[in-house]
Formats: sequence, structure tokens, C-alpha cells
Amino acid sequence: MKRVELRVMDMHCTSCALRLQELEDLLAGVIRVEASYRKGKMTVTFDESKVTVKDLVAGARKLGYTAVE
Amino acid sequence: MAALIAALITGFTTGGLSCMAVQGGLLASSLAQLIEKDLLGKRGGRDQWNIGLPIFLFLISKLAAYTILGGLLGGLGKFFQLNPLSQAVLQFIIAFFIIGNALRMLNVHPIFRYFTFEPPAFITRLIRKKTRQAGSFATPIMLGAMTVLIPCGVTQTMMAAAIATGDVLSGAALMFAFTLGASPVFFLLSYFATKLGALTEKYFTRIAAVVLIVFGLLAVNSGLNLLGSRYSFSSLAEGVVSALEVRHQGQASATPGTDLVLNVVDRGYRPKRLHAPAGVPLTLTLVTKEVHSCSRAFLIPALDYGVILLATGEEKVQIPPQEPGTILPFTCSMGMYSGEIIFDL
Repeated sequence: MKRVELRVMDMHCTSCALRLQELEDLLAGVIRVEASYRKGKMTVTFDESKVTVKDLVAGARKLGYTAVE
Repeated sequence: MAALIAALITGFTTGGLSCMAVQGGLLASSLAQLIEKDLLGKRGGRDQWNIGLPIFLFLISKLAAYTILGGLLGGLGKFFQLNPLSQAVLQFIIAFFIIGNALRMLNVHPIFRYFTFEPPAFITRLIRKKTRQAGSFATPIMLGAMTVLIPCGVTQTMMAAAIATGDVLSGAALMFAFTLGASPVFFLLSYFATKLGALTEKYFTRIAAVVLIVFGLLAVNSGLNLLGSRYSFSSLAEGVVSALEVRHQGQASATPGTDLVLNVVDRGYRPKRLHAPAGVPLTLTLVTKEVHSCSRAFLIPALDYGVILLATGEEKVQIPPQEPGTILPFTCSMGMYSGEIIFDL
């Protein structure tokens, strides 16, 4: 189990945080996504044997966001 | 009635847009996807009319939820008897909040992101789970009701206005009118959510932000009127207009021993500027005839005088002698309509 904090500066509303939570469904191995529009970042708890940070970044891009470690 | 019409127009002009800007079309697009998946997928797009039904149910549910919320907020406001000063402070807070939200929408600086309410993670998680549960009309109804948990900036402002009514029915009516006004735009947004590109969304966000700034400045104006300030935008504009007019044109004056008469109408006070002699007590007669707007809640902040006028009738206000050159502003309790009495030499 690993936790990583990613900056997501292109969120433009509080519901973007809600959208980023979709990573929990999109990627097997993502356990929890805590995204904050105010802070412009998300904290992801994931199973590193199933998913990598690179996958998280790619997943965020698929949802329309640029995540940076 | 005027407040309800204003709320309806606010909903129609900025409410729907703000919902789109703040919520980013998320609930709407989730709903649209849900509908398409649930109905089009099963029926092969045969029954096009049914696509709008879940959106309609969503909006009806949202309308009911916000009306109840408005009633609760109005009831809450009953416990806070607002005097003109606290109403002015409330207006300034609303203005600060609205303008901050507009600057956030314009991406002026990340600090303005703190002007928006960020629902706790467990609420967003709950909403997301409900969104995923496709398959029945209960979902849009549930989602519609849940929007009370993630109100947009303009909605939050209207919620503050519902508190300020201090009455359950008025608060409920205000939120009903606002949500009803916002519904057409929200409906169209939901219907065409998938067709709205990022550029369109950005464009509408900017329009909503500009409209919000105007509303913010109007709130500042109301606050200044409630404080009896001569420097409210409406007073300054009135000053400019009257400077261009022939003196006393469209104004009224009184001689010692006579009444000053002010006609209270739905859209404010006529005339807006009264002239009176200084140094003598005066009687100001407020005349109403089938008036149903907030202009009936009449205040003279400097005299700490306030009255709720009858829809039709007369009310006499005793004004003590004033120094020459004194200007006595009067306003409605919302700070929307204002005027002044000038005590001449």
C-alpha cells in the first residue's frame, strides 16, 4: 500500500475533485482518492503491485486533468 | 413579490450558469450518461421523449429540496432579528463572497478557490456512488435532492438571502423562485451536456463571472444604502442625474407646517429626492397604493426609524428639526430602493 500526493492545477470547480475520485473505478489497485479543488491536489492511496504513479497520471489525463508528482 | 421576481431572474440569468460553472456539468453529464445508457441502450433510442423525463425528475426533486431548505433557512433567520446595521453587514459579506467567487471563476489567483464550499470527501463519495447506480428513476430523484449538499456560489448567496427573510414561507418561496429560474438552463445543460465542449463551458463561465461581479456590486450598493451612506452607487448616480436637471424638477419640497409626501411604489420611492426646511419639525407622510414590493419595509437609518407599511394606506413619520445642509437618506429594508431628504438653508 502506498500513498502519493499529486498536484492537479487544472481543476476548475469542486466537482472536479468528485470526477478525480473516478480513478477508484477506473484503475484496479486504486484504493482511495482524496482530491481537493482548493488545494489543487489529490492524495491517492493505491496498491503498488497493481498500479503505478505513471498509471495514475495517465488515468487523470484520461479524465481531462494534468496530474504532476 | 419583487424579491421573488428578482430571485427568479437571478436563477435564470446566473443561477443556471453558475451551477454549470461551479459544478462543471458533472452531475448533469453523469445524469445524461446515465439516461443514455439506461434508456437509449435498452430501447435503441426508440422513445426519445423519455430521455428528458429523468432530467425533469431530477429538477423537480432539486426544486423540492431547495424549497424545503429555503423554509428551514427562513425559519433560522427568525432567530436573528436583523437591524439595518446587521443587514448592511450581511450585504457586505454577500458582496465579498460573490465577488470572490467571480474572481475564482476568472482564475485570477488560486487563493480565490477558498471562496467556494468544498463538500467533505464522504459526501462526494456518496454522490458518486449514487451516480453509478443506474437503472431507475429513483437515481435522478436522489441526485436532484443531493444537490443541496453542493450548492454553487450564487445558490449560496440566495441561501443567505433566505436567512435574511426571517420567515419560513418567504425563505421557501425565495429558494423556490430561484431554483425554478435556474431550471431551464440546467435542463438544457443536462440535455446537451455531452455536446458542450470545454470552450463553450469556459465562455459561459466568464459570462457568469461578469454577471456575478455586477450582483456583487449591487449587494455593496444595498449595504451602503442600509448604512444611510450618501456614497452608494445609486445615491451618486442620483446626484449626477439631479445635477444635470433643473433644480427641483422631479423633486418635492415642503414649507414649515406642511407635510412632506413620499409616494411608495413597487419600484421604489417617488420622488427620490425631497427638499425640506431646516430647523423645524416636519411630518413625512408615506403613501402606499396596492404596493407589494420590499419598498413597503421603509427605513430611515439615521433616525433609527423603520416601519412595514400597509399595502394601501398612509403612515406619518415625525422628523425632528435638522441642521441646514443635512441630508437624510431613506431606504427599503433590503437596500434596493433608496432616496433622501435634503434640508435646505
